[in-house]
Amino acid sequence: MKTYKAQYKIAGGVHPEYHKELTRDKGIEIMPLPPLLHVYMSQHLGAHAKPILKKGDKVLRGQLIGESTGFVSAAVHAPTSGTVKNIEETRTAAGTFTQTVEIEPDGQDQWTSSLTPISNWESTDSKVLLNAIAAAGITGMGGAGFPSHVKLSPPSGKPIDTIIINGAECEPFLTADYRLMLEHAAEIWEGARIISKILGAKNIRIAIEDNKPEAISAMEKAIGTADDSVHIVILPTEYPHGAEKQQIFAITGRQVPSGGLPMDVGVVVQNVGTALAIRDAVVNGHPLTERVTTVTGLPLAQPKNVMARIGTPYSDLIKFCGGINGVAAKIISGGPMMGLAQSSLDATITKTTSGILVLPAKAVTFYEAMPCISCGRCVEACPVNLMPCDLSQMLEAEDYEAARDCNVMDCVECGCCAYECPAHRPLVQYMRQGKARVSAKILEEKAKQAGKEKK
Amino acid sequence: MATEYILLVISAVLVNNFVLTRFLGICPCLGVSKKLSTALGMCGAVIFVITCASAVTWAVDHFFLSEQGIFKTDLNFTQTIAFILVIAAFVQLVDIVMKKFTPKLHGALGIFLPLITTNCAVLGVAVLNIQLKYNFTKSVLFGLAASLGFSLALIIFTGMREKIDRANPPKAFRGVAIALITAGLLSLAFMGFAGLVK
Amino acid sequence: MNIIVITLLVIGGIGLVCGILLALAANFLAIKEDPRVEKLLEILPNANCGSCSFAGCADYAKAIIVDGVAINMCTPGGPDIAKRLAAFMGVELQAMERKVAIILCGGDKEKAPRRSTYNGIADCTAANAVDGGDKICRYGCLGYGSCSRVCPVGAIEISNDLAVVHEDLCIGCGLCAKTCPRGLIKIIPAKRTIHVLCSSKDKGPVVKKACKVGCIGCSICSKLAPNEAIKMDGFLARVDYTKDLENIELVEKCPGKCIIKKHDLK
Repeated sequence: MKTYKAQYKIAGGVHPEYHKELTRDKGIEIMPLPPLLHVYMSQHLGAHAKPILKKGDKVLRGQLIGESTGFVSAAVHAPTSGTVKNIEETRTAAGTFTQTVEIEPDGQDQWTSSLTPISNWESTDSKVLLNAIAAAGITGMGGAGFPSHVKLSPPSGKPIDTIIINGAECEPFLTADYRLMLEHAAEIWEGARIISKILGAKNIRIAIEDNKPEAISAMEKAIGTADDSVHIVILPTEYPHGAEKQQIFAITGRQVPSGGLPMDVGVVVQNVGTALAIRDAVVNGHPLTERVTTVTGLPLAQPKNVMARIGTPYSDLIKFCGGINGVAAKIISGGPMMGLAQSSLDATITKTTSGILVLPAKAVTFYEAMPCISCGRCVEACPVNLMPCDLSQMLEAEDYEAARDCNVMDCVECGCCAYECPAHRPLVQYMRQGKARVSAKILEEKAKQAGKEKK
Repeated sequence: MATEYILLVISAVLVNNFVLTRFLGICPCLGVSKKLSTALGMCGAVIFVITCASAVTWAVDHFFLSEQGIFKTDLNFTQTIAFILVIAAFVQLVDIVMKKFTPKLHGALGIFLPLITTNCAVLGVAVLNIQLKYNFTKSVLFGLAASLGFSLALIIFTGMREKIDRANPPKAFRGVAIALITAGLLSLAFMGFAGLVK
Repeated sequence: MNIIVITLLVIGGIGLVCGILLALAANFLAIKEDPRVEKLLEILPNANCGSCSFAGCADYAKAIIVDGVAINMCTPGGPDIAKRLAAFMGVELQAMERKVAIILCGGDKEKAPRRSTYNGIADCTAANAVDGGDKICRYGCLGYGSCSRVCPVGAIEISNDLAVVHEDLCIGCGLCAKTCPRGLIKIIPAKRTIHVLCSSKDKGPVVKKACKVGCIGCSICSKLAPNEAIKMDGFLARVDYTKDLENIELVEKCPGKCIIKKHDLK
């Protein structure tokens, strides 16, 4: 095993204030069951799951309640034992609407035994492991929520030689992954080995930013005397080193092509939380029913790293953390750079909720967007070498063709540009809108092309 | 010899740029500089027409209008009429031929061709060729270089206008007003080339 | 004397040669084009709005001549232009009625309040993508004016955070209906006067919390309306605009106060 600093310097990047001190030294606390759990059928990227229960049904913890409905989709399981109170459409933290199963816990928290634990995974066929992961409904737990079984079954033409276990956690405030590495290093390491076995990848890289020396030494200790194919790569503390494609470049020097996926360059990246969940699914036979989330922010009485069940309402989490002192001006699901602002505390924890951030009034300023002064700070900060200044003007003028020519689709929405913009332009919002429009256009063109070919 | 030609080209493209220094061909430059794609079409049409027109008008002058021509009479006072006549007919002819044989190219340049038949830049090149007593090669080269200069100015100008239009200028400046100011500044910038070639 | 003759000869000669060349070229290299297309294009409004489902007026004109497409598809032109097109083509005019856009939401600033402060791009699509829109009602008009910006004739005004169509200006091209991220805008025959100004499919109590003029799904109107002219779509009453509906009683009976009668525009 080797530990060394990343060799490649990514483009752009910013250095926001991290504020990790609020929760970094607080151990993961297990939250008691809330009175009601609202489990979304859309916990992940891709097609929504389909609820398979009726009102009044009894469920056990880990029982399947939402079926996966497509290739890119994931199963959803009951987070505890109890009764299904209601199934209706509600608003998720992302602002979209999805079917939601409301479960009233019975307090027993009894596990179902639908998944059989695989204790000797090293001698098990990787197909079996992959099925176990799909059945457990594991998705990426870093943010995007890409179903793991899809990520772990690349097409045969794309061999994977390297897996990266992402423990960078470059978002300010968040410390959930950091605590996981401190407290569950051995399990994460086992998860990493399971992933590398499934993919047949010979190299394992564990990526940690250099502001987490304790996590680095914890992982080193867990890995022990593994051979030279395992490296712990220390990334500089700079946002967005936790972003998949940037991290791949920083560690391997390989550039994921425009519009491509990491598997195109022979790499798969999984979050430390995902590695842990995969290990839990394989070794213990437990579907994904809970996750660690950082509930933080200055107005909170006791910021904490909480192990909470999927479906726990934000309001209960905040109550568990002692409530809010004074006024909260903004509540964000996720980190401050890429998280989603919330208009209520009705949303619930999903498989991708890495944090809940409560910001005080003095941290939130409502600026009026000013015209672009072409200072170029966004261009310098952009990790994918775009020109957010020009793009935002094109998108403001609704010139989607021009924006497409200038590769708006390559934007990763990291927020570096908006963070740097002295004119306070909502650059990321423009990008998101532009990307939505352009991808709709691309779909339309593809459909037209398909129609033509049929003729 | 070669230096002379190179200097001729540099002079026509940069130093004595048709649009920005001689102020010829302003109307198409302001008219089609809103979108780069149309500007490129215009550039193509202008390069083609000016180059060919300088060849044709040189021939007309040499054989019919000059004292050394067929009629041995100085008919230079009819220059303007004769040139316009020839250029207009020539462009029309090209238009018809292109429509027939290269409809795709015609689709791209089509609408611009009739626009530039009697453009001052085209006539300007023809007249300058005669005034400066250029021979045939030099005339064609000058025509080509002048139209390249026009294209350069038009493309730079279009790029700037596209960006300025998106940048939401104050209401009073929107449209042609800011375009003219931009053109003026661009012209000032091109003054920097003065003295590069005598 | 001599010079005048030579001048005339030279200029005349050049002109003659050019003329002959052009005439020959025009004769031998001519491409046959239906002159009727150009005539039709003169009749059409040349707004290139695309509401006829063709790429522009020129495309539509060509389609009429070449493919024999119906002549009553130009919504902005209305019956007037359809009549002229019919006369030119020598076909009988099919029924053509004037169409206008209507915004099926009545919740303005006071009646349907917002639930959060949104300070992003002032555009409905953008606002709708942030936490599902900042209005309590998940179906209602967001009022950031995407429809009014796309309107080619300036017929949509945002008044009190609610889009309102000026029906006398509207040409019924349907660009606004395509733009609205919440699909509130419908293109309907202008002669229809009774409308259910709500698009909320939520249940009554939810609607009541979100808006003072929402459809609560009581279905009184659908029972009163003759000929099934109002149908229930879940918890929402929808007017079937293909049917005649003149029942003013509906307006008074609606407990949600979302049914209105607009003056006849024809």
